[in-house]
Amino acid sequence: MRTRFDEQLNTLHQELIRMGALCEEVISLAASALIQKDDALAAKIAPLDHEIDEKERQIESVCLRLLLQQQPVAGDLRQISAALKMITDLERIGDQAEDIAEILPFLNGRTLPEHIQIREMAKEASQMVTDSVDAYVKQDTAIAEAVIAADDIVDDYFIAIKNSLISLIAQNPNEGEYALDLLMAAKYFERIGDHATNIAEWVQFSVTGEKNTPQEVN
Amino acid sequence: MTKRIFRSICFVAIAVFLASVALFLCVLYNYFGNVQRNQLKTQTELAAQGVENAGADYFEGLDTKGYRITWIDADGEVLFDSDAATAEMENHLEREEIKEAVEDGYGESARYSATLMERTLYSAMRLEDGTVVRLSIAQNTMLTLLLGMSQPILIIAAIAIALSFFLAYRLSRHITEPLNRLNLDDPLNNEGYDELSPLLRRIDAQQRQIRLQSEELQQKQEEFEAVTENMTEGIVVLNSKGIILSINPAAVRLFDTTKACIGQHMLSVNRCMEISDLLSAMEKGVRAEKSITLQGRTYQLDISPVSEDGSVTGAVLLVLDVTEKAQAEQMRQEFTANVSHELKTPLQIIAGSAELLSNGIVKEEDRKSFYNRIQAESQRMIRLVEDIIRLSHLDEGADDMKRENVDLFALANEIVKSLQTEAENVQITMHLEGTPAIIYGIPQLLQSLIFNLCDNAIKYNRAGGTVAVQVKAEKDRVILSVADTGIGISPEHQNRIFERFYRVDKSRSKELGGTGLGLSIVKHAARLHEAEIALNSAENEGTTITVTFPVPK
Repeated sequence: MRTRFDEQLNTLHQELIRMGALCEEVISLAASALIQKDDALAAKIAPLDHEIDEKERQIESVCLRLLLQQQPVAGDLRQISAALKMITDLERIGDQAEDIAEILPFLNGRTLPEHIQIREMAKEASQMVTDSVDAYVKQDTAIAEAVIAADDIVDDYFIAIKNSLISLIAQNPNEGEYALDLLMAAKYFERIGDHATNIAEWVQFSVTGEKNTPQEVN
Repeated sequence: MTKRIFRSICFVAIAVFLASVALFLCVLYNYFGNVQRNQLKTQTELAAQGVENAGADYFEGLDTKGYRITWIDADGEVLFDSDAATAEMENHLEREEIKEAVEDGYGESARYSATLMERTLYSAMRLEDGTVVRLSIAQNTMLTLLLGMSQPILIIAAIAIALSFFLAYRLSRHITEPLNRLNLDDPLNNEGYDELSPLLRRIDAQQRQIRLQSEELQQKQEEFEAVTENMTEGIVVLNSKGIILSINPAAVRLFDTTKACIGQHMLSVNRCMEISDLLSAMEKGVRAEKSITLQGRTYQLDISPVSEDGSVTGAVLLVLDVTEKAQAEQMRQEFTANVSHELKTPLQIIAGSAELLSNGIVKEEDRKSFYNRIQAESQRMIRLVEDIIRLSHLDEGADDMKRENVDLFALANEIVKSLQTEAENVQITMHLEGTPAIIYGIPQLLQSLIFNLCDNAIKYNRAGGTVAVQVKAEKDRVILSVADTGIGISPEHQNRIFERFYRVDKSRSKELGGTGLGLSIVKHAARLHEAEIALNSAENEGTTITVTFPVPK
């Protein structure tokens, strides 16, 4: 009975890694599409996002089945409940990457100082997702902590971009639409950073059983 | 086993004891019975004697001493009974012993009382007058005998059982001790029971076989490890679930992990989409191939599922470093593109000029320049094709070219002389210094090496500049250096100028008739001679290229 349970837990772990890898892929595609100004890359995101949604449903049903049939306790319960929460965050990352992909055609082809900032921001957010999945794979709380700390960097980028866009609109009101699109993209990256932070926190919970006081997700 | 032997011995001992007690009791009972019967007979005879002599008076004050005495007349009427009133007694004529006594003079019988606890022996004797005197005595039954003897029997039983327990314990220990002492590591060297020797021989044979097989297995394992440990290719063995069963050091290095990953899932080590796809292919039992980039290098991943009876039992993941191959492939593609481009330009000029000429558009006085143009471009194409042929020859390793002793100084001298006119045309002075230096090499290649270097030194020089060629023979090397005072090469171009078709200044190079392959040929020629090229250049000051040839002693 226990061996079967362990096997199911392992499968859950691997499926979650696969889902994490898919999220890494979409966010890095979104970042590369932005950095290389390549709309073809952005077009690859949507099908991957569907795959992520599919994985979410699949993992969700695995988790619920495990909860019902095995009635896990202690560490096992933590692992399963953390997985249930993490897939929501991962799925949101996928959605937001897709949203970014939709905006990209309007942004690419322009070169403005804000563009450089958002590229840095995209790189950072992508790295956060990679690290948070890494933390899960290795069950490493140190990496999780680093991810949580990195969220501030992404937040700072968002504020910097927002400020420079404000002055851009003030100087050149015709650029309003562009500025808003850029702000939206920046916002999505910022949200992705928050989701990565959530994942890192769930990793900490799953490993230690303690959850940090919930940080205000703005 | 000890317990079983112990139990058996105890059981046998107790059974024997009980049987002997039973037998003993039977014999004893019979013996006592006989003694009592004989006594009774004697007493009856005495009593009969007494009654014969004294008649009824005999019974007056008679001490019966535990016997019951009865006197019966011939009709069976009881005349006297020592225990009961005579009147109430029934006729005794039908009693067995009486009947016998009436007929034969003496009779005997034994009867159980109603309770079975008592047996009564009867003995009767006929007197002269036909009356019968009967004596009877109560005899103990077997049960009473047993009850009477129960105490000693129990004591003896207790002693016997205790003794049998003790002996059985000792004995069973003694029997099993050689078995417990058996040394199974060395089965043939045991003393003990002969009956065990076939078993021990068998154990010995099997142990030897096992040892042999495990040694063989270990050797194979070591061979496999030795092979995989020293491979530059990574090998990962996975089970059907994707768990890593073994991983060689190369793969550990490539995936930037540790040996501790054995037992973990492959995705925990690297979760990129390609590996995920490969694992899915493995689950379907299909061979698959992907290429990924790790730490800046390109790797080809091959997964080969291992199937048994139609189901996948595992897979071997092979990781090949194909960086060079990928780079070579890219270079080849670039080269082809470059060659086509380089050939197309002169061809277009030739075709265009020829078209203009044939259409008669060109004025008579301009025709000469068009012919010259066509000739010059054709020359350029010929040079280009020659260079390409030479390069592809070098790529193949120039195996068919003969090596011989070449005096580098003499060779340089020839080339300098042949280029003298060309140099003078652009007001450049060339000089050569050094000593004869023999190296073992391919003359044609060395010639084109020096020629290309000198040619470049002249082409990328400025009017009034110099080209200094130096050949120096040292103990274990020969140094050739060509220094110019020309335009120099800026640092960002320095490590690319040996690439095919790479030109620092495209327009200038074409103007000068360069093919863009000269330094490439130099690089290849030097490599075939195991020589090292050093480039020392400063923009607007000049360039010195030094080629150092090793001279084996």
